[in-house]
Amino acid sequence: MNPIPALKFVSRAAVQNILRNRGIALASVLTITLTLLGAGIAVVVVHALDGVLQTEESQASVLKVFMADHLAFASEVNLEKNLGSSASVATSSFENKNQAAAQAGSSLGLTQAINLLEKSGAGNPLPASLNFHLRNIKAVSQLNREVSTSALLDSGPHPTDYNANVIPRLERYIFVAQLGGGLVVGVVGAVALVIITISVRTAAFVRRREIEIMKLVGATDWFVRWPFVLEGVIVGVISALVASIILLGFGFGFGGGHGLALGVGLRFAALTVVALVVAGGALGSLGSFVGVRRSLAT
Amino acid sequence: MSISTSPPAPVVETGARSSDVVRNEPPIIVFENVTKVYPNGLAAIQDASFTVRPRDFVFVVGASGAGKSTVIRLLIREERATQGHVLVEGQDLARLKHRHLPRLRRKMGIVFQDFKLLPSLTVEQNVAFAIQVTDPGRPHLKEKVGEALYIVGLEDKLLAYPTELSGGEQQRVAIARALVHRPRIFLADEPTGNLDPDAGWGIVQLLQQINHRGATVVMATHNREVVDLCRRRVLAIEDGRIVRDEAEGSYLRDGDAIL
Repeated sequence: MNPIPALKFVSRAAVQNILRNRGIALASVLTITLTLLGAGIAVVVVHALDGVLQTEESQASVLKVFMADHLAFASEVNLEKNLGSSASVATSSFENKNQAAAQAGSSLGLTQAINLLEKSGAGNPLPASLNFHLRNIKAVSQLNREVSTSALLDSGPHPTDYNANVIPRLERYIFVAQLGGGLVVGVVGAVALVIITISVRTAAFVRRREIEIMKLVGATDWFVRWPFVLEGVIVGVISALVASIILLGFGFGFGGGHGLALGVGLRFAALTVVALVVAGGALGSLGSFVGVRRSLAT
Repeated sequence: MSISTSPPAPVVETGARSSDVVRNEPPIIVFENVTKVYPNGLAAIQDASFTVRPRDFVFVVGASGAGKSTVIRLLIREERATQGHVLVEGQDLARLKHRHLPRLRRKMGIVFQDFKLLPSLTVEQNVAFAIQVTDPGRPHLKEKVGEALYIVGLEDKLLAYPTELSGGEQQRVAIARALVHRPRIFLADEPTGNLDPDAGWGIVQLLQQINHRGATVVMATHNREVVDLCRRRVLAIEDGRIVRDEAEGSYLRDGDAIL
């Protein structure tokens, strides 16, 4: 079979099928648009939430280890080297007592209090610290457990800045957000697949006579199937484009003229559109494939 | 075989019947102890055996539900025999792989009582459809469609839609569609069932003409007048069994009363 005329026929048949059954096609586009819109919103919200959590996570993924006063420089270096070599540690930095005082002064407004203490002869009360930037928030608890009993650390009640309330809670939020986002996208995708399958099955039923004639005159299964598959792809892609336009419209609308809402970047928006188009096409072709199978079997 | 608008090289002498010709060719259709039992338990065909030689014209006759249509359905492999063998051109249809089914169907022209035309397509498009879905790159599509419509006498109805045609004309379009593949075997399942006697007779004459051009024709019918007028080979089926096989038969066995 010559592929070019075959392709022409299949394309023409697919477009004709859509136009001839425009009611069903429109209903399919609407329902698939809604489901893809749901999937798109889920993706964007999960992405935005993920961004917030990532910011929180990156901020919370720093463990400040307070050093005991008068600790030998070599011990500090050793401790930094030992802990810094762990795979979970991205970077580490040393903050001496003066830097700690300056930091506390600027961020907490304690400059005056620290100056008074130094003038009274009590000296700088703030400890030197090692700041470990960890790759994963889960590693914070682990590193804290490893280091908190070390004799090299400040003997006060808080040898590290580990917050036992915040970190586990944040871990839970991230897990729930990722799981929930994945579930929403999965469920919405499955719904879209079912809708496309039903709509193509309906279209195949409407055109059962055409399919019957094609089979009787000797068309191959693939030749019967291709117009439906292409029709599914066209419907899926059109739905994805409509969903993308709506999604971007809302994104820019709620962005207040400063880009997209929820802090979504243009690159991510473009990737989302591409993903929706690919997903729409894939769902359409898969749904058509499944939908027309029964007609071919009978 | 070859179908063209010019007079074909006759397979048989003008006026002679194809079955009159002495042939040593193997049968084109073989039913060998065929039984077909449907899933509901109905035995539509029971231990049927017969052969059809190339260029034969065979009427398969019997009352409604006798099993005539099942014979046609077995021949196009729409159904598989429960027991026995159905062979077409030496190919055992039970062993035919599903992917080779289209090749078998392209060797056959098939028409039905209900015409099976697409109402949204014109006459020309309906006939072209058979080529477009099987061999879309075939050259001279228009000429081949025109040729098939010329044979059935509808060359002036190219742009008409099926709903604008009489039943007889619609059946002719279906025959033209079946002819575009130049089939060696032509199967007709009650082709006159929905037609008035004149139109029905016209269709039978057309099928005879196709037979004279070299195709083997198997026609399932319960149209007694047509069968009796033609005096061609008759296979009679009763309750799924072949009860009669006559070279120049009539619808009823001689002496049988019409109830």
